[in-house]
Amino acid sequence: MIRFEDVSVTYRGGVQALRGLDLTIEDGEFIVIVGLSGAGKSTLLRALNGLVPATGGSITVDDAEVVGASAAELRALRSQIGMIFQTFNLVNRTSVLNNVLMGRLGTVPVWRSTLGLWPADDRERAMQALERVGIVEKAYVRASNLSGGQQQRVGIARALVQEPSVMLADEPVASLDPVTSRQVMGDLQRINRDLGITTIVNLHYLDLAQEFGSRLVGLRDGELVFDGDIADVDDDTFMEIYGRAISDDDLVGTEDDLT
Amino acid sequence: MSEGGTARPVRPRPRLRTFGITAGLLAFTGFAAREVEFAVSTFWEAWNNPLWEKFWPVPWDWVLDRSNVLDPLVETFQIAILATIVGCGLALPISFAMSRLTAPNRPTYLVSRSVMNVVRAVPDLFWAKLLVTAVGIGAFAGTWALSVFSLAVMVKLFSETVDNADPRPLEAARATGSRHLPAIRTGVLPTVLPEYVAYALYVFELNIRASIVLGLVGAGGIGRVLEAQRQFFRFDRVLGMLIIVFVVVFVIEQVSVAIRKRLV
Amino acid sequence: MTATHTPSTVSRPSPPSGVRRRRALLALALVIGGVWSVTGIDVTLERFLGAPGDAWDIFKRLWPPAMDEALDRGVVGKVFESVYIAWIGTIIGAVLSLPLAFLAATNVAPRWIRVPVRQLFNAIRAVPELIVAVIFIPITGLGPWAGTLAIGLHSVGTLGKWATEAIEGVDTGPLEAVEATGGRWVSGMRWGILPQIMPIVASFWLFRFEINVRASAVLGMIGAGGVGAELVSQLMFRNFSAVGAVLGITVLVVLTIDTMSAAVRRRIIAGVTRTGGPDDGDRNAEALADLTGFRR
Repeated sequence: MIRFEDVSVTYRGGVQALRGLDLTIEDGEFIVIVGLSGAGKSTLLRALNGLVPATGGSITVDDAEVVGASAAELRALRSQIGMIFQTFNLVNRTSVLNNVLMGRLGTVPVWRSTLGLWPADDRERAMQALERVGIVEKAYVRASNLSGGQQQRVGIARALVQEPSVMLADEPVASLDPVTSRQVMGDLQRINRDLGITTIVNLHYLDLAQEFGSRLVGLRDGELVFDGDIADVDDDTFMEIYGRAISDDDLVGTEDDLT
Repeated sequence: MSEGGTARPVRPRPRLRTFGITAGLLAFTGFAAREVEFAVSTFWEAWNNPLWEKFWPVPWDWVLDRSNVLDPLVETFQIAILATIVGCGLALPISFAMSRLTAPNRPTYLVSRSVMNVVRAVPDLFWAKLLVTAVGIGAFAGTWALSVFSLAVMVKLFSETVDNADPRPLEAARATGSRHLPAIRTGVLPTVLPEYVAYALYVFELNIRASIVLGLVGAGGIGRVLEAQRQFFRFDRVLGMLIIVFVVVFVIEQVSVAIRKRLV
Repeated sequence: MTATHTPSTVSRPSPPSGVRRRRALLALALVIGGVWSVTGIDVTLERFLGAPGDAWDIFKRLWPPAMDEALDRGVVGKVFESVYIAWIGTIIGAVLSLPLAFLAATNVAPRWIRVPVRQLFNAIRAVPELIVAVIFIPITGLGPWAGTLAIGLHSVGTLGKWATEAIEGVDTGPLEAVEATGGRWVSGMRWGILPQIMPIVASFWLFRFEINVRASAVLGMIGAGGVGAELVSQLMFRNFSAVGAVLGITVLVVLTIDTMSAAVRRRIIAGVTRTGGPDDGDRNAEALADLTGFRR
C-alpha cells in the first residue's frame, strides 16, 4: 500500500509543485493521474521514489518511509519500484539487452555490473521481460535502431526486470503516435493484471485515461482536485481538473485521425 | 505484441575484424610498453627517492633576485611577443594564399599548403635547435624558431576560418570589377578580422608557454637558467623558478583569455 | 535620384570614433611591445637581416639527406621509440583522466570534489611536458620511461578537460533511469554516461596521441628517449646531411600518423553526429568500433 500524507514539494527556486497532497493507493491498483503540464503529476511520481525529495509530509510504500530516507534506504526502495519515462531514457549506443539489464543495477553487486559480468539468472530475467513485451528478437540490436514504440517497450522491460511491486509511468506515450500509444498502454494494463503490479500512470490524453484507467486522480496546481472511479468521470470532471473546456490537443485520437 | 513464438536471438559473436584489430592494438601496446621500459614500480620508488629532498626548501633569496629569474623571464616574454608579431604578420597573406576561397591560383594554393604542412610536422623545438645552430645560441634564434612555429599554427587556424567565410561579399566585390587583392581586402578581411585577432592572442598564449622551454635547447630565455640549474642538480632553485614562472604565465593567460572572450 | 541633389534635413553622421580609437590603441600597443622586445633581445639590424641567409646556408646542407647513414644508425627505430612513448603516454593519460573527469563534470559530481579536480586539470595543463620531464629524469634516470611519464602526466590535463566537457554534454535521461532502479553513482556513470561519451572521448585520445608524437620527439632532446637525442647529436657534429635524414624520417612518420589518426577520428565523429536515419549513424559507429577496438 502506498500512502501520501499531507505531502508538499517546493523546488529550490520556490515553485510549489505539490501542496498538501493526501492519497492512498491499494496494492494492484491501476491509477491514471491527469492534469495540465505543470500540475505536479511528474513531481508526484518522482516524490514517490525519492528522485525529487518531498519537502513536507510523509510518503510510505509498504510501511517504508520515503521522506528523509538515507541513500541506502532509497536505493533499496527504488529497486522495488519500476519507472518508465516519457523520453524512454535508454542508452542509445548500447544493446537492448544491456538496457534491460540496467534494471538490475539496484541488486547486482557493483563490481559485477560495472564489468558487465551480469549473473546468468539476471540475463534470464531480462530475456523473460523482453518476451513479455514482445521484442525479444531485438535483444542484441542497438537501442537507437528501434522505433519509438519498441524503445518504450524496452523501457517497460527495464522496469519489469526489477520485479517491482510498483510501476511508475511518467507520460509513457507522450512521444508516440496514437496506434503505438494504445499498444503501450495495453502492455501496461496487461502487466498490471497478469502480475498484480500496482501501476501509476501520468497521462495528458483524456481519452486514453478513460480507456485504460480504473481509478482517476486529477491534479491542478499541485493540489488533488479529483479522486474517483473512472466510470464517474464526465466532461465536467475534466473541466474541473483542467480549468477549461477540452480541446483536441487533450485527446490522443484514433487511427482515423491519422489519415 | 506478445504474439509469443518469436525465438530468442543468438548472441552475436564479435566479428573477426573487430577481434583482429583489438588483438593487434593490444599487442602493439604490450610491445610499446616494453620498449619504453614501463615500470609501475617507479611510482612507489619515486615516492621514496631521496632526490626529492633536493627540491626543498626553495631558496627564495636566490629566486627573487632580479638577475636570476626575473630578467630571463622578461626576455622569454620578449621572445614570445616578437614571435607572435612576426609569425602572425606573415600568416595573414599566407593564409589567404592557402585558402580555397581566396587563393590567387591553384599552384599557389597547393604549394603553400604542402609547405606549411611539412613546416608544422617538424616539432617546435626541432626548429629551435636548427636555428640555434644556424644563427647562434641565444634569444635571437629562439625568436626565429617561435616565429616559424607561430606561423605554422596560425595559418592552419586562420586559413580554415577564411575557408568558411561567407563567399558572397567576395563575389560582390569581384562583380564591381575589383582586382584580386582589393576584393579580398574589402570582401573577406572585415568578416574574418575578429577571428584573426582572437587566434593571434591564442598563439601568443601558446608562445608564452613554448618560450619557457626554448632555453632548454639553447634558444634563450628562462629555459637557459632552468637547464643550467638542472645540470648543477639545484632542484630547489628549479622548483622555485617554476613556481614563479607558472604564477606569471597563469596571470598572462587569464588576461589574454579575458580579451579573447570580449573579442569573439 | 533627381538631377539636383536636395540636401537632406537629417544631418550626416560623423564616423564612429570608438572603433578607430581601439584600432589605434592596438597598433600602438603592438609597436611599443615590438620595440621593447627588440631592445631586450640583442639584435642588430645586420644580424637580423643576416639570419635568413645563415639559416638558408644550413638548410641547404640538409639536402641530400644521408639516408643510408641514418638507417645504419637506427634512426627509424628511434623515431618509433618516440611513437611508443607517445602511445603509452597517451594510454596513461587516458586511464588516469577518465575517472577524474567524472569527478569534475558539473552535471554528475558534487561541488566539493568538482572544484579541486578542475583546478588539478588546469595546473597540469600549465606545466609543459619538457618541464615535467626535467623533474622526472632525476627520479627515473634518463631514457624513454621518463618521457613516457612526462607525456602521460601532461596529457591528463587536456584529456581530463575534454572528457569533462563531453560528460557535461550528455543526455541525463539514462542517468535518471539508473537512479530510478536504485543503482549506485558508479553504475550511473558506467551504464548511464560512459556509453554515450565513449566514441567522442576515444577520438580525443587519438587527437592527443597525434600531439604527443611531436611532443615525445622533442623530449628526446633532453634525454627522455626517442628521436630528439639523435637530432641533437648530429647537429652537434654538424653532420647536416644526417640531420636532414632524421628530420625527413620524423616528418614522414608524423604526417603518416596524423593522416591515419585523422581518418579514424573522422569516422568516429561521423558515427556520433549523423543521426538521420535510425540505422545510418550506427553503422558508422560500428565501423568506428571495429577500427578502434573500443567496442562496447
